Amino acid sequence: MSSLLSVKGMNINFDTSRGLLEAVRNVDLEIPAGMSVGVVGESGSGKTVMCRAAMGLLQGSNVKRSGKVVFDGRELTAMSKSEVREQFGSGMAMIFQDPMTALNPVRRIGSQVSEGLRVRLGMSKKDALARSKELLELVRIPNAAAVLKLFPFQLSGGMRQRVMIAIAISCSPKLLFADEPTTALDVTVQAQILQLLRELREDLKMSMVLVTHDLGVVAGNTDYVAVMYAGEVVEFAETKKLFADMRMPYTEALLESIPTIDQKSGARLAVIAGRLPDPTDRGAGCSFAPRCKYAQDKCRNEHPELKQDPDGHLYRCWFPIGEAK
Amino acid sequence: MAGSGTAHMRNTVDAVLTVRDLTVEFRTGRDKVVRAVSGLSFDVIKGETLAIVGESGCGKTTLARAVLQLPPPNSGEVVFDGTDLTTLPKENLRSARTSMQMIFQDPISSLDPRMTVQQLIDEPLEIWGRGDRAERAERINNLLNNVGLDPELVLNRRSYEFSGGQCQRISIARALALDPRMLICDEPVSALDVSIQAQILNLLQDMKDRFGLTMIFISHDLAVVKAVSNRVIVMYLGKICEVAPPETLYAKPAHHYTKALLDSVPVADPTRQRKATLLQGEPPSPMNPPTGCRFRTRCNAASAMCAEQEPQLREVAPGQFVACHHPIS
Amino acid sequence: MRSYSKPTLLAIGWLGLMLFFALFGWILPFKEWNYVFEDDLEMGLFSSGHILGTDSNGYDLLASIVAGTRMSIFIAVAAVGLGGLIGSVLGIFSAYVRGKVDTVMVTLFNVGLSVPNLVLALALVSVLATNVDINQAVPTWRRVMVLIISLTIILIPILGRIARGATMSWAGREFVTAARSMGMKDIKIITKHIVPNVLPALIAVAFLAVGVVIIAEASLSILGVGIPDGASWGGMIARGRNDLEYAPHTLYVPLFFLALTVISTNHLGDVVRSKLDSREAKV
Repeated sequence: MSSLLSVKGMNINFDTSRGLLEAVRNVDLEIPAGMSVGVVGESGSGKTVMCRAAMGLLQGSNVKRSGKVVFDGRELTAMSKSEVREQFGSGMAMIFQDPMTALNPVRRIGSQVSEGLRVRLGMSKKDALARSKELLELVRIPNAAAVLKLFPFQLSGGMRQRVMIAIAISCSPKLLFADEPTTALDVTVQAQILQLLRELREDLKMSMVLVTHDLGVVAGNTDYVAVMYAGEVVEFAETKKLFADMRMPYTEALLESIPTIDQKSGARLAVIAGRLPDPTDRGAGCSFAPRCKYAQDKCRNEHPELKQDPDGHLYRCWFPIGEAK
Repeated sequence: MAGSGTAHMRNTVDAVLTVRDLTVEFRTGRDKVVRAVSGLSFDVIKGETLAIVGESGCGKTTLARAVLQLPPPNSGEVVFDGTDLTTLPKENLRSARTSMQMIFQDPISSLDPRMTVQQLIDEPLEIWGRGDRAERAERINNLLNNVGLDPELVLNRRSYEFSGGQCQRISIARALALDPRMLICDEPVSALDVSIQAQILNLLQDMKDRFGLTMIFISHDLAVVKAVSNRVIVMYLGKICEVAPPETLYAKPAHHYTKALLDSVPVADPTRQRKATLLQGEPPSPMNPPTGCRFRTRCNAASAMCAEQEPQLREVAPGQFVACHHPIS
Repeated sequence: MRSYSKPTLLAIGWLGLMLFFALFGWILPFKEWNYVFEDDLEMGLFSSGHILGTDSNGYDLLASIVAGTRMSIFIAVAAVGLGGLIGSVLGIFSAYVRGKVDTVMVTLFNVGLSVPNLVLALALVSVLATNVDINQAVPTWRRVMVLIISLTIILIPILGRIARGATMSWAGREFVTAARSMGMKDIKIITKHIVPNVLPALIAVAFLAVGVVIIAEASLSILGVGIPDGASWGGMIARGRNDLEYAPHTLYVPLFFLALTVISTNHLGDVVRSKLDSREAKV
């Protein structure tokens, strides 16, 4: 299986007043062509930073980065800024958590959707607007012709996210980054948007990286899952395998601690003790050791490397679940 | 969802809070009126956790604030402990509020960034002159221990030095400072990381048991609601759709909206996915709600009657009340 | 100990020096500012006895500068202090109460802002500080008072709007609702929760306002309605510009002091603001 995007040895550090913030640590990730990969993690896990960096969108003088990103056979990290920019739209595209701030509030929907078509694909204004209407219909916006003339604030959150998706797919990208695309939406609208993304991916043969904190969203919408904690990938596997056979204690604890609609009412919830690790102070051992119920001395002192099962299941643990202690 | 009606009211002497016919409207612009809550009634019995579930814009937060008279509702009664808060003079209302405390969604913005934890928790005690300085200091220590924070480590720090989960613990300690009888929690875990949510939910449960609190728990998250509640109200566009104990509601929802909500919740299990047809569209604007049943514009079972007559709440199973002309049986 | 950047230290140092001039200038062994050195007209910079030279009237420029500092800084600080106090009380109150009070207040602020600053000051000064009897001179203290009052009136809507905006955003925070739900009185909520949070933003703007006022005072002097007799920097500039051709330093010296002071207050305003923003970002 060839990978569309491959990230090798990525490290991202931010120089802050509190010291060096290690946001992403030694991440390797492969996005197989045509697949959907979920990146799951809590705040501070580095999932968003990792994706922005993979797209070459991370800027600022206080950012220190290393590692290699290869997209579609070309090394992004060796390209100039303008060459990377060439990739946006037709190569990679992104949708964001908050569709209100991602859309320009003072421009009409039509001009925002057609912008990429005109700049990237060199369409005339008329053609671009006609294509924009088709795109809005593609993302199932009713009354597309009228919506072209509206401003973002005149649309609901779900409609705005649909517009964002229309913009993202306007130049037929090979890879779509979706950064918490449904977190700001209501649950019934979230289900609609996720369904839309599934269908579009199939129709357009598009790969997707779905960044989220919600294991439920990942379970139904991805082929592979990478679980991130404290800036590292701690587990990576096919989605079905991961949920059936978790190796990393963090993933297990996370799943157990989430309330579900199937549990008994009033039952006490399983808890992950402690709190999220400090990104400026990564200890010597396993990052999850202070909160892990299986932790032993070795976990606290030695940093585990990624291990691989014969079936390709990766995990970062000295004593993975399902292995004799 | 018309949700008018009072069939679900229990009218017992054990009711700590009884809300009747509550209406809250906001004026936005000249002739625009947002009907956030329209003629809503419910009661909460001592020791119970009543959950109010609904999507954004359904009026659940407005409802909670109207109960606290922040701001007061446009009409209706809010009877707390036998007194109607809506007719209470300002000075009495101030003291009545102390036995009803609120926990907010955003743990960081609900704490004044300029105050230390010690000052934050001391503030309510000081306003009401509870004890002298030494007694108050001891009380603050007790409260912090109760919510699982070490007083020595936190007393002199400020809210922005803490994580969201810790801030929520501080908020809970502060809300408990005045020995309230009722706690109103408005999305208390929505802003927290998933691994922290369970900690706070368990803590709320513990505090409820230890101090014999009655709770109103507002959330958009059906899973969270199931974990904590004894009774659930499902709201849509300012009206009640369904009232039921969680076991019944989650197993056999009677309202089409409740069912749609339940079907939309993503399940963390790749082998069980996508069973139901999704709800189409988004809620209409509360400025111009549909006639009759407010849910009919998105409901598959809607008939002509739904546009004409507003359904009233009625009991379809023991303890389960639904406002629908064509309930799921 | 917090470390400051070099420009910030320079700005603090310069403003400190100006403040020292303003408060204790009279202690320094300078010449008297309004003594006419008849033998030393239009001496250049660094002349013996007159470090910054003299102007065409024979006034010692350094002494004039030091004396002018007192007037310029006094006027600026007084106007900003008064305008800030009144403006923030009105702004905070109207934002907290909202409703009709707020609508009226915003309208008043907008009317105030719509009148060009200098025109308003010019009108006020020429009406209030002009004697009916043209031959009778208006006492300096009265002109100063009128100048301060008119600058204050200009500042009230500017600072008031900022106080109002900041209050709006803080009063919407949940901790204010939380305080109310604990039974706190409104007046205490304002003094304990709103004011301490709004104050830093106001202080940052006040620094910028000091710069604006110093320039406004100078502009009024040039227009002929400032402090007469060159007792302020603006007055010196007004007088110096007549000699631009043959004694340019009489113009440049006060300009230099004025410019450095305004740059310093603006810079410090920015520093205070960014300190605030970084704290806000943490919140």
